[in-house]
Amino acid sequence: MSNLAVLPIIIPLVAGIVLAFTHKKIKLSRGIAKCFSLLYLAAAGFLNWQVHQSGTLVLETGGWKAPYGIIMVADQLSALLIMTTAVIVAACVFAAASVVGERMEYHYFYAFFYFLITGVSGAFLTGDLFNLFVFFEVLLMASYALITVGAGKVQLREAMKYMLINLFSSVLFVTAISFLYAVVGTVNMAQIAERVQDVQQKGILTTIAVLLFFVFATKAALFPLYYWMPKSYAVPNPVVSAIFGALLTKVGIYSILRVFSLIFVYRTDLTHDAFLWIAGLSMIFGIAGALSTSNVKLIIAYNIIPAIGFILLGIGVFNQSSLSGSVYYLIHDMFIKTALFLIVGALAYAAGTSNLKKMGGLIHDYPVLGWLMFIAGFVLAGIPPFSGFIGKFMLLRGAFENGDFAIAIIGLLTSLLILYSVIRIFINGFWGEAKDYGERKSLKGYIGPISVLLACSVVLGVGAEWFMPALDSISNQLLDPEIYIKSVLKE
Amino acid sequence: MEFIICILAGILFATGIYNILQKQMLRIILGTGLISHGAHLFILTMGKLKRGQPPILTEGVSRYTDPLPQALILTSIVISFGITSLILVLSFRTAKENQTDNMDQLRGTEHE
Amino acid sequence: MFYAIILPVLLAVLVPFLAKLKARIHTGILVLWAPLLIFIYFARKIGKQFQPSDQHISWIPSLGINLDFHLDGLSLLFVLLISGIGTLVVLYSIFYLSRSEQLGHFYVYLLMFMTAMLGVVLSDNVFVLYTFWELTSISSFLLIGYWHHNERSRYGALKSMLITVFGGLSMLGGLLMLTVLSGTASIQGMIAKADVILASPYMPLVLVFILLGAFTKSAQFPFHIWLPDAMEAPTPVSSYLHSATMVKAGIYLIARFSPVFSQYDWFVITVSVVGTITLCWGSYMAVRQTDLKTILAFSTISQLGMIMAMLGFGTKLAVFAAVFHILNHATFKGSLFMITGAVDHEAGTRDMRKLGGLVAFMPFTAALALFGTFAMAGIPLPFLNGFYSKELFFDSVIHLENSSNAILNTVVMLLPYAVVAGSIFTFVYSMYYFFGVFFGKNKTDALSKTPHEAPLGMLIAPFILVAGIILIGLFPNSVNGSLLEHAAAAVLGTAPSHNIDIHFWHNFSQAFIMTMIVAVAGTILAATRARWTDVYQLLPGRLSFNRVYDWLLERLQIVSRRVTHIYMTGSVRHYMLIILGATLLGTFLVMFTTGGVHIRFNDLAPVSLLEVIIVVMMVIAAVATLFAKNNLTAILILGVVGFGTAMLFVIYRAPDLALTQLVIETITVAIFLLTFYHLPKLRKREDTKREKTINLIISVGFGAMMTLVGIFSFSSESFAKISDYFIETSHSIGGGNNIVNVILVDMRGFDTLFEITVLGIAALAVFALIKFNRDKGAR
Repeated sequence: MSNLAVLPIIIPLVAGIVLAFTHKKIKLSRGIAKCFSLLYLAAAGFLNWQVHQSGTLVLETGGWKAPYGIIMVADQLSALLIMTTAVIVAACVFAAASVVGERMEYHYFYAFFYFLITGVSGAFLTGDLFNLFVFFEVLLMASYALITVGAGKVQLREAMKYMLINLFSSVLFVTAISFLYAVVGTVNMAQIAERVQDVQQKGILTTIAVLLFFVFATKAALFPLYYWMPKSYAVPNPVVSAIFGALLTKVGIYSILRVFSLIFVYRTDLTHDAFLWIAGLSMIFGIAGALSTSNVKLIIAYNIIPAIGFILLGIGVFNQSSLSGSVYYLIHDMFIKTALFLIVGALAYAAGTSNLKKMGGLIHDYPVLGWLMFIAGFVLAGIPPFSGFIGKFMLLRGAFENGDFAIAIIGLLTSLLILYSVIRIFINGFWGEAKDYGERKSLKGYIGPISVLLACSVVLGVGAEWFMPALDSISNQLLDPEIYIKSVLKE
Repeated sequence: MEFIICILAGILFATGIYNILQKQMLRIILGTGLISHGAHLFILTMGKLKRGQPPILTEGVSRYTDPLPQALILTSIVISFGITSLILVLSFRTAKENQTDNMDQLRGTEHE
Repeated sequence: MFYAIILPVLLAVLVPFLAKLKARIHTGILVLWAPLLIFIYFARKIGKQFQPSDQHISWIPSLGINLDFHLDGLSLLFVLLISGIGTLVVLYSIFYLSRSEQLGHFYVYLLMFMTAMLGVVLSDNVFVLYTFWELTSISSFLLIGYWHHNERSRYGALKSMLITVFGGLSMLGGLLMLTVLSGTASIQGMIAKADVILASPYMPLVLVFILLGAFTKSAQFPFHIWLPDAMEAPTPVSSYLHSATMVKAGIYLIARFSPVFSQYDWFVITVSVVGTITLCWGSYMAVRQTDLKTILAFSTISQLGMIMAMLGFGTKLAVFAAVFHILNHATFKGSLFMITGAVDHEAGTRDMRKLGGLVAFMPFTAALALFGTFAMAGIPLPFLNGFYSKELFFDSVIHLENSSNAILNTVVMLLPYAVVAGSIFTFVYSMYYFFGVFFGKNKTDALSKTPHEAPLGMLIAPFILVAGIILIGLFPNSVNGSLLEHAAAAVLGTAPSHNIDIHFWHNFSQAFIMTMIVAVAGTILAATRARWTDVYQLLPGRLSFNRVYDWLLERLQIVSRRVTHIYMTGSVRHYMLIILGATLLGTFLVMFTTGGVHIRFNDLAPVSLLEVIIVVMMVIAAVATLFAKNNLTAILILGVVGFGTAMLFVIYRAPDLALTQLVIETITVAIFLLTFYHLPKLRKREDTKREKTINLIISVGFGAMMTLVGIFSFSSESFAKISDYFIETSHSIGGGNNIVNVILVDMRGFDTLFEITVLGIAALAVFALIKFNRDKGAR
């Protein structure tokens, strides 16, 4: 029992509440937000260290024994995700001061931001399925707030669609939980896993699993459920887009990873093979979307879909190599998407437009941004020695080992097209003749956070060896539900 | 009996979804209300119906209805309420700004 | 070894700073010593007693990706080329590129490339090789697009990147498969396991993947189209990357993997055929060109095809000829590119139609060009190295063995003819280049400036290369045992055998006859070139692969757009339909195929009349919402459903729920009314019949699905519910009698905390929404 497991949830909650009160004083809010982000980072680091030393940390809230009370479970996977979130939070908070605009900051931006982080942290740490639903709602509600407050015509319109589709999937989620409860009699994930194992996932359980998959897949922006995502991520300001792109869809794919490695692993011939199909289709349609548009923000938003496809590929193949690859790719994507959203945000700001066709020659005035974009593009596309390559390497090797050639080939082809979709931005936006953009704008607030994020990406890639033991350990744990069940139920 | 309520909940889902597939905002939100009710009824039913007394500890009673689904429904009612309020205000804002409440006119494919 | 490899890139990091410090010295001088040092370091290893050596540095051992380096004859040859020609190119660039350009960047990219190329040829770990491979693609991209304000440069850079990365990724697939098949990521290790690999059923796929990588990088047919467009790069780049080094990476790959694949018939067939086709196609296309660099580009394509073909043949003689030609080609092609640059620099144009008779103005340049072009043509003179390797090539194509494979035999029969044809055109364009530029009618009035001799500095590098041509020509065996034998041995996977002697005169062998045919036919065609231009223009005309590439890219964009617009309609109704449909389909499929259907008829709750009435009322109300005619009615009917639910809660023994539901329903109805007072009145639903039907099917289907899953789940109850615990401990531990309350506040209090948070966020959001716009209005 350790309070450390719940700290990453409490800190942002307190932050949100405090910031709701200080919203009138913008400079104070910025300072408080930055302090809290560092506090959160420290807590995340400490959590990771503890988990590394003593193994999975469990917190039984209110002292109620598992599986009756709600528990927080910080195993290595969750701890790693919290750590990544913490870095992203810090980067975004520091960028927000120059990017978001004072009106937004006045209207509770930082409060909503931290409430969203509360929801995300909770989703990563909870060990209770209904509690997961509640945390989903927290993060969704905060995201609704971020996307609607201060929104113009276009953004409001996209927000309506976003809210509607997510609302529906939330209702479906809670209903599916009740169905599951009817069969297994509990909402505690470890106990559900134990009971599903007892009956070997017979009967209606697989159907409920599929229902849950559709719920999570809608949130994760997988094929064929991702329609709400591209526009709604491309329209708000860059920090909001970055935090959405880096965190919200990842919570969805994390849920799939957790549920389909812990609980529903007894019909992999059906479920996990279907995942491969969905992963492949997500890659193809996602990259088609990225290639179809000239709006730089949309290009990055569409690129989320193939990335999630890659992670799902690893889950579908379901061997040690591919699961390590999925987790690694998840972390890598969180960093690089944040960086890319901030980069194209800066680009759109500097050029005064999001339309690539109207850009050109920006490297003369903004060389640093240009080279950051260049590197980021290669990281995303999976060019070695960066993290994108290592992740793809693990995933594809797992696929080849398993004999899944078709999906591996699709993955390789998609990588090429991903490269094309982002290098277009570099060639057409930064190279070429400079157009008239008015006076030169300062990108001060953007460059620092982007550089930090890219540096993390590079370290993740070049220093991959440091992460391997952790990844191996995580994938071993994922392949063996008993480890999780035992650490929670201790019987 | 539980099956009847299941069917009722299913009908609520069906009518709710039919409403969501409409073009006018009011109908869409009505639909979300309907499916929420359907979901709540499902949760209640899964806990089995009428098997004991209301879950308040009383002398001499040994069989109680399942309290857990009730707690879950309460949480869900509150959350749905929050969402419904927000989506109502949002739809109001959107309709005012875009000067239409017809979702079909709000496709917005012009900014590609 | 490792330090030799990364020296250039480390220098690259420093160059921008050094360039700023010493602004008066040409940056090239600062850079020159790096490749020179590397060359000297490796040149010391040349010798008959050369032994391969290794170096191992850990990088990611858990994934089997380590910096393992292996220096053998083949890599030594390449390393010498990379560093040697690198030095000469930098020297040349000092005089060619004026200081006004942003030279800092140029040398950074060039040095990056140097490291990458060195890494490619020295890596023993396939994934480290891949890393360096892609780094060459990246640095090439940057170098081709160096003058990026020029649209052709951007186009060329993109094209080269797309094609080579396509090949690179395909190669990665092949390397991954090889690793999985052989259990090791080390090339030497794979060579040892060649029989295991060849026996695998996936061999054809592996071969395709690897060959795609090699063919794209080395501009083999039909992937050659990027090389001519890469000529947009500054001439030193073309000379270094696109003739002597980067394009040879594919050849290196094939050579390196020969010990594994050479026993495989399809390898022999594919590589020989593709190489030969490239030889012929490239040389044919070269004859048609009018831009000097483009002639050389196609010439490179053709020569690479020749080397590729020799590697395909795989015999001892062929492999030896191949490594010899790798060396020779670098000397004459490198020098010719530099000479072209000199002509461009001094005469102001690269267009053949405007050039002629320059021998009078640029005698030294012409002299150098003489050796370069004649060596390229393979003219039989003892001081032209090109002749020797060409002759060996002819010799090897005639002496191919017969095998059991019928296709292979047919190919072997046809090859000599194709080879002669390709060589004839090679002769033609070589002569065309030399005589067209330096002799013939003097067209200097058409030029923008008066041509004069190139500065001495610019001529030093080509002079050194030409000296190489002559020296190797006069003393071919000097490089034989010390260098070439070791290289050939590495490719063949055997020990050096030292028994091929290079002579000028082999008597009237078949090979020599072929050479004579080429010379005679070539001279005739070259002399009558003007008459053939129309015939040349016929092919390929519309069928060019450039068109295919452009068409593909265009189609990609169009198809993506069309596909995306089909489903991203912006209509939330469409989105919901697809989501609902997919979920519905998936669930039904799984339900009926996994035996989820299960209904139990025992242990069900009793039914009372009151319930039935309420249920019916609710059903009517729900359906009525679809037909409501105005806002008020619709909202109130929803209220009926809500209150009906509350009544059901009462019946089903959930008092707290009923209370909450009543309160919430009231407030909700109130908010609905408030909001919709301001919005337009409900209109009659304007759906088309088709829309109505689809809506109906989906909604009824989904509702049915939910009902069924619900019933089946309910019937599949398999475990005791945990709520018994809550009932037991509500009073003892929880301290309360209302179990539901105790759960909410205590046992699942954490849920409640965040449920309230959700409500709080919603409230804040609504407040902020209103406030934001009021503030906006006030301004």
